[in-house]
Formats: sequence, structure tokens, C-alpha cells
Amino acid sequence: MNGILEALAVSKRFGETLALDGVSLQVNAGEVFCLLGANGAGKTTLVNIFLNFIAPTSGEARVDGRDVTRHALAAKRDMAYIPEQVMLYGVLSGLENLRYFAALATDEDLPERRALDLLRQVGLDETAARRRISEYSKGMRQKVGIAIASAKNAKAFLLDEPTSGLDPKAANEFSQLLRTARDKGVAVLTTTHDLFHAKQTGSRIGIMRRGRLVENLLAADISHLDLESLYLKHMSNQDE
Amino acid sequence: MNSLCLPLIAKREFIEWRRDGRLLIAGGLSLIVMIAAVLVNVQRQVVAEGKRRAAEVLDYDSWLKQGNRHPHDAAHQGMYVFKPSPPLALFDPGITPFSGASIWLQAHQQSELRFRPAQDATGLQRFGTLSVSWVLQVLGPLIVIIFGFNVFSGEREQGTLRQTLSLGVSTRTLLWGKALALHGVMALILLPVLIATTVAVLYASVSAAALSDTALRLLLLSVGYAAYVSMMVFAVLAVSARMPTARASLLVLLGLWFASVMLAPRIAADVAEYLDPSPSRVEFNSKMASALDAAYKRAWAKELGSEKRWGGDVPLDRWGRALQVDDHAGYTIMDQHFKRLWDTYEKQNRTQEWAGLLAPMLSLRAYSMILAGTSFYDHRLFSHAAERQRRVMQDIVSDDLVKNADAHSHTHGEQAHFTYQADARLWASVPRFSYQTPLAKEALGRSVVGFAVLLTGLALAIGAALWASAHRPE
Repeated sequence: MNGILEALAVSKRFGETLALDGVSLQVNAGEVFCLLGANGAGKTTLVNIFLNFIAPTSGEARVDGRDVTRHALAAKRDMAYIPEQVMLYGVLSGLENLRYFAALATDEDLPERRALDLLRQVGLDETAARRRISEYSKGMRQKVGIAIASAKNAKAFLLDEPTSGLDPKAANEFSQLLRTARDKGVAVLTTTHDLFHAKQTGSRIGIMRRGRLVENLLAADISHLDLESLYLKHMSNQDE
Repeated sequence: MNSLCLPLIAKREFIEWRRDGRLLIAGGLSLIVMIAAVLVNVQRQVVAEGKRRAAEVLDYDSWLKQGNRHPHDAAHQGMYVFKPSPPLALFDPGITPFSGASIWLQAHQQSELRFRPAQDATGLQRFGTLSVSWVLQVLGPLIVIIFGFNVFSGEREQGTLRQTLSLGVSTRTLLWGKALALHGVMALILLPVLIATTVAVLYASVSAAALSDTALRLLLLSVGYAAYVSMMVFAVLAVSARMPTARASLLVLLGLWFASVMLAPRIAADVAEYLDPSPSRVEFNSKMASALDAAYKRAWAKELGSEKRWGGDVPLDRWGRALQVDDHAGYTIMDQHFKRLWDTYEKQNRTQEWAGLLAPMLSLRAYSMILAGTSFYDHRLFSHAAERQRRVMQDIVSDDLVKNADAHSHTHGEQAHFTYQADARLWASVPRFSYQTPLAKEALGRSVVGFAVLLTGLALAIGAALWASAHRPE
């Protein structure tokens, strides 16, 4: 099966520091790949390479078969990016933000009705949708981020610690939205520190350490406890 | 680049400016200041032109009605000529507030220009002459900065830039969209000013011919100011794209504004003075006086056979002729000295125009004054015309003295020279002073350097913005 998101021996060096060391992974349609690892393990660097915010030193990152450095704009059109904190325009409402970003992403105007529907699907009613983003909680912003991704009809979602700082209820709602996207055939690559979230949401789980992908597991093949032990084992070796 | 994206990006910027109050406060205040400048200057122009016309009539009338008197006394009393204020002086008064608008035509000497043209003044020094041109040249960039300092840097700081770029929007599209927004907001502020200026100029123009000439000048001025504003827009975008934070962007832009608007004019004037030094007033007068003295002596020796001016060896019945010789000997010397002085000023002005490559306001200022008809060159042309009139007056008077006073003293004794009196017929033979301001076509020729510098600056600013947006810091 061809992966929607593919990293082929991707390395990235920042001066003397090797941030990524030959990372290869593949995320297929309808799959959620959860990338675990300590701070500085290289998770966000990999996401940035997929987004072509930085270029790999060697190797290749592909989205739907296209090299992201050579076809940067086309590759980005197939992806939706949801960072730890979805950054939106504070003076615009959730609805206005959604319509703005969706129109930029698709080159088409997103009708207000459709935008309200999308926001309702992620749990934001019309009253909330018409409030300014500056009044939103982090969870509400993340929901707008998902709505933007849905409006974009992206083949892949790239999420960088999306549930960090969310309360358990909001995190659970967010995981549910990801599962919905997955069920629609979206390939999801998400970085997280949250083992529970990874086990609950992921189809595959990867563990990164010092820029290398040291584990690549099927979520179904490992219990929560074993995942925790494995993770802690790798983390305890972090300083070696 | 998609056609939907640019207006979309621009519209979002507008919403932000409207909601954060910038459109109302900064835009509204700027508009009020500029409209006030138009109104104040229309009033000033109308009043000044009315007074000028009245003074012109009164002065010539008093020349005609001075009664019977010795012609040389009349030449010493002389007359005033008044510089007509071009309609666009209400937009850009140029150096007029510094150089004056009238010249006293009197016997023997050419009236002087002031020795420190307005070009030397910094932006603040010209604050007293609140004009639309001053507001646009000095405050225009500040308005662009207020709206544009954070268009990239603010978004970078908030994280929305990363969010936007992750959608597959190119930085170039983003740049053009933001440029469209900044051009749009400046147009929103400046179009009412252009309309108000056009109406004011229509009101101030006296004839249809003057109107079409002024319309062409106004069109060219609009193009020049549009290039300047556009240059500012791209320069602000370039800085905003390169700076990591909105605060850093604002500080850098304000620093650049201060340097180019407040410091550069002073420095450019000093550099121009260093490259082409102009004499001090005392130095100029002293050099010209020596040259005149030598020329007079030569002329008196050659034409009158006398070693001493106004000595006893030239009889009084030749004093009319002596005056004629004396005057004509001085013309060439005055022409040479004033030409040298004015050429020096022209060179200094040209240096300042080229300095616009570093501080664009200097080029725009020169371009604006030339097209408004209020530049140093226009003042020079007027001074030439005034001097021609003075010589016409002086020659008529001297010719009359030769013809009548010298002959009178020949037959009635030498002292009779001073008792000779001319009457109204002689005064009427001195034509009324008339001055035509140069046509827009001529001004266009002289504005080429300023415009070329502005276009070069615009091209560089666009290049800088494209480069900065492509090499923005993450």
C-alpha cells in the first residue's frame, strides 16, 4: 500500500546537532501514526520537514507520492496542520477564521452555512462560532483547527502535540474528531507525549529518541502497560 | 497565485485594522490633517493671490501717477514685481515661504535671492508650513508604518503566519495580498485628499489654459506620490517580513523614518554644500562689488575717457550717458555672478535629488516642487524676468536722460540736468510687468531625475520585499 505520508531516510542537521537521523516511516490512508518521544527527540523537526518549513539535510519526505521540497505548495494543499496551539486571528470570529483559512486553502469561498455545519460537527454551535477567537479556550481553538482541516478535504493531517494542555474532556473530544477523520480515510501523523492518547487514538505508534525512530509498532499489538514500559525504557536510555 | 487569495488576504487585513481601531484613529486623523491642510492652503492661496493682484495694480498705478520728477529719482524709487502663485502652490508651496514672492526693482542693483533655500530645511523645520505635500512626504511613510509594521512580523509572533503558510499559500501570494491591503488603505486615505486638492485647484485656477496645464501637473504629481507611497509600502513589507517581532519591526521602521525624513535632508544639504560650496552673502556681495567696480572703471575709461566714476572730469551734460554706460557695464557682471551662484544652487539641488536613492523623500520633494511650480528653478526664472523688467525700466529712464536731461543741460547749463523732469508719458512707456509660469511640459523635463530615482527606489523596495518574504526568519 502506498503511504500518504512517507519519510524516506530523512536526516536533518542543525550545525553540529543531528536532529533527525535517517528516519523512515509511512502513514497510510485511514491510519493514525502517533509519534512519541521526549522533548528534543526530533518529532517537531519531522513535522516541519513535511510542511517544508525546513529542508532535510538528506532523505526525502513525500505527501501522496510528491517530494515536499520540490512540490511544496501542492504537498501542503494535501495536508492540514494542527499545532499544539492552533493560531488564529484574535479579532476575527471562529466562523470568520474558518472561512478565511478554508478559502485560502481551497481557492474557493466557503459558504457561511457550510462553515457553520463544519463548526457544529466539531462541537461549536453558532453562538460560539460568532464569538471572537480572543474569547476562545485552547480546546475551542483546536476544534476550529479541525474544522479548517475538514474544510480543506486534506488527505493527511499533521498534528504537533495537539492535546497538550487540553483538559481530559476536551482531549477526549479531540481524539474522537481524529478518529472520525481517520474513518474518512485521512492519514494522520501526530506527535504527542501522551501515551494514553497514543494508545487510544493511534493505529501505529512510533517512539523517537535522539533523532532516530527506535520503535514502530502496531497499536493493536501492544498493551498500554507494555507501551509505557517500552517508552520509559527508551527514555531512561536517553542520556546514555 | 489565485485571484481569490489576494482580495481575501487584503480584506482580512482591513477587518483587523477596522476592529483594532487603526482605520478609524490613524486613518481618520491622517485624513483630517490632510483635508485641513488643503483647506488652510486654499484659503492662504486665495487671499495671497488676491493681495498680489491688488498690490500689482496699486504699485504700477503709483508708478504711473508719480507725477513729474527727475527720471533717475523715479528709477531709484523703482517698482515692485510680484510672483504669481501657481495653483498647485496650495498643494506644495515649495521654497516660496522662504524665498519670498516679490522683488523690488531699483536702479543700479539686482535684488538678491535669499541665501538659504528651503531645500536645506529638515522635515520638522518645515512643520510651520503645513501643506499637503509636507504631510504626504513626512507623515505619509508614518501612516504606512502604522498600518504595515506588523503585517508579517505580527503574524509571525502570533503564529498565524505559520498557520497560513501551512495551507499551501505561497509567501509571494501573501506578500501581494498584504501589499494590496496597504495600497488599498492608503488609497482610502489619499483619494479624498486628491479629490479635495483637485476641487481646490479648479477653484484657484484662473483660466482654461491654466487649468489644463495644472491638470497635467496634478496628474504627474499623483503618479509621483503614488510611486512614493508604493515604495514605502514595499519597504515596510520588507522590514516586517525580516523582523522576528512586531516590536522590532516598529523600532526599525521608526528609526528608518527618522533617519530618512529628519536627518537625511540636513545631511544631504551639507553634503551638497561640501561638493558645490556656495558663497556666504557677504562673500558674494563683496566679490560682485569688486568685479562691478573694475567693470565700471573700464567702461568709464573706454566710453567716457574718465578715470574716476562720477568725478568732475565728466561734465553734467553727459551724466545721462554716464548712467547708461554705468548700468550696461554692470549687467554682464551681475549676470555672471548670479548665474554662478544659481548654478551652484542648482547643482546642490541635483545632488539632493540623487540622494533620494538613500532617502526617497528628497527626490519626491524636488519632483513635487518642480511640478507644483514652486521650485528653486521657478524662482530663478521669475528672478530673471524681474531683472529683465528692471533693465527695461532702467534703460528707458537712462535713454530719456540722455535724450532730454543731457540735452537740457547742454542748452541751459550743467545744473539744469537735475532740474529736468519727466512726466507721465515716460512712466507709461515702462510696460506693466507680466510673467508667465513655465508650462507643465517644461517642468516634466526637469522632473525626470526625481521620477527616475523614485522608480528606482520602488523597484528596489519591491525586490527587497520579495527577497525578505522568501528569506523570512522562522
